[in-house]
Amino acid sequence: MSAWLKKTGVAPWMVVLAAALLLAPLVADRGTLNDLWSVAFAVVLASAWNLLGGFAGQISLGYSAFVGIGAYTTVLLANAGWNPWLTLPVGAVLAVLFSVVVGLPTFRLRGPYFSIATIGVSEAVRVIASGMEFTGGSSGLRMPSANFHFLSNYYGMAGLALLTVGLVAWVRVSAFGMALEAIRQDIDAAEALGIHSTRYKLLAHALSAALVGAGGGLFAMNFQYISPGSVFDFPLSLRIVLMPIVGGIGTLVGPVLGAVLFGYLQIKLLASPTLRDWNLFIYGGLLMAVMLFEPRGIVGIWERLRRLWRRRAPPTLEASGGA
Amino acid sequence: MERLASVLLSSLLLAGLYATMSYGLAVIYGVMRIINLAHAGLMMLAAYVTLTLNTRFGLDPFLSLLVVAPLFFGLGVVLDLTLIRRLPRGGTGPSMQSLLLLFGLWLVLQNLAYVVWGGDTQSILTPYTMSSVPLLGERYGVPLLLVFAVSLLSLVGLTIVLRRTFLGKAIRAVTQNRDAALLSGVNAGRISAVAFGLGTAFAAIAGTMLSTLYAFTPDFGRSLLLKAFCIIVLGGMESFTGVAIGALVLALIENLAAAYTTIPTSFQDAISFSLLVLVLVFAPNGLPALFRGFSRRAVAR
Repeated sequence: MSAWLKKTGVAPWMVVLAAALLLAPLVADRGTLNDLWSVAFAVVLASAWNLLGGFAGQISLGYSAFVGIGAYTTVLLANAGWNPWLTLPVGAVLAVLFSVVVGLPTFRLRGPYFSIATIGVSEAVRVIASGMEFTGGSSGLRMPSANFHFLSNYYGMAGLALLTVGLVAWVRVSAFGMALEAIRQDIDAAEALGIHSTRYKLLAHALSAALVGAGGGLFAMNFQYISPGSVFDFPLSLRIVLMPIVGGIGTLVGPVLGAVLFGYLQIKLLASPTLRDWNLFIYGGLLMAVMLFEPRGIVGIWERLRRLWRRRAPPTLEASGGA
Repeated sequence: MERLASVLLSSLLLAGLYATMSYGLAVIYGVMRIINLAHAGLMMLAAYVTLTLNTRFGLDPFLSLLVVAPLFFGLGVVLDLTLIRRLPRGGTGPSMQSLLLLFGLWLVLQNLAYVVWGGDTQSILTPYTMSSVPLLGERYGVPLLLVFAVSLLSLVGLTIVLRRTFLGKAIRAVTQNRDAALLSGVNAGRISAVAFGLGTAFAAIAGTMLSTLYAFTPDFGRSLLLKAFCIIVLGGMESFTGVAIGALVLALIENLAAAYTTIPTSFQDAISFSLLVLVLVFAPNGLPALFRGFSRRAVAR
């Protein structure tokens, strides 16, 4: 059992998370389930971003484009008479196509240049989407309101979150994940070892785009209304980047921790008007604090604390050895 | 023909503003190898400070430059000493850590403006805001012409500082070869602080001038930051003449697209954002390098 756990990269906390998400509807009320839905959505976004941003080290600031593509595919097809659930794979495929179109040129760039190019791409997409006829412009679009069940949407999002975390866990221990790690550490050395870096980056980008695109579709189904301002917006891209960075970039548990923290913050922010006025302060301050003091986020702090604890725990041994 | 002349003239006027907006980024990148994402936030903050000076003390926006520029120079030095210096230096390229730190600073500045001045759209009205002057058969707003004059003045000022003073020579030395500059006894810490101060002051000059032309909110400046970045990449990242050329090229492309194509105005910004991506991908060393490459190939043939 534990060997299997090690081989697939599944940790005990994931089982607990899965059980909590799937069993919650039996005990929790609608409000709590709503909050859990937001946390699950955040887990999808953060963990999927981590595939490219954390494992391969390519910090993209343009992930809201994938949320938007998924959301618009679902709304437009549902309005054309499709079953909303059948639109999710279509949105995922379109997001993958877009990820390849964007990735092919921009993956030639390295480090901050790649990040800035992704801001350019996502801003261009947002400007074009707000100017187009079929997106409903800045006034947005509505889903057909018939036959919406919150609970099935909840299970959909929870399932997608678990699928995402499971996939990321599997990628981490696979040869694919090792190739991404090699690219992150030293792209030239990785190339010299025969890793086709562009192909692996494109694969990671496509996989995370598919997950985020499907998440965008579920988002549209749940909120019943979308506009370029809600799904193509820069602050959304920003939150997607912040969650894994604050939690612990490149780790498995980090993005989930970040997503839970930010999901909770988001709920608090929406509840209190004074806090809402300070939300960018919180986001920006957290980002600055992480960069200045612990670039590996909450996971880094945890590891520091554990090292401190270990050093303090066996003092008698060290004292006797030294004497 | 008349139309082309007016397009060229308005491109030149716009290019002056664009160049001022971009010099700050270029100075900081050249000396410190940092991409200052907070540049947009600093421009926005300067626009609000100008607004306050205007409404509280009745100070003319262009005169307030004399207050705003030194103030932001000091702010830049303080930011360098308190934040940027704490980051580990390493490698020759810009680090992700500095990019994200300054990104965080941008968000904090936005929130600061939101709390102090509110989220409403603001603009500065002066007696000459609405007046215009006829030139080549078109009318140009007086603020636009003043902005161009101030841009030229500040660029000439920067050039004199960089070419004639010891400090300026040290800045150029660090830009060209950091290690060699350190070996010849340049105090890199002080130069970095001055460079960040200069970059911040130029962001402030640009912000003040923008406030006389456009309405602004705390979210102001994101598209301008992308344009400025596009310009310094076009100009080859480090060369100050390159920045002027890049500003002119971007202004020309925007104005020509507006005058001679049917691209709707709501897509205008998408042009410069797409241009940014194209330039980064196909001419990452800027136009000068691209031309050198062409001529070399022509000679080889």
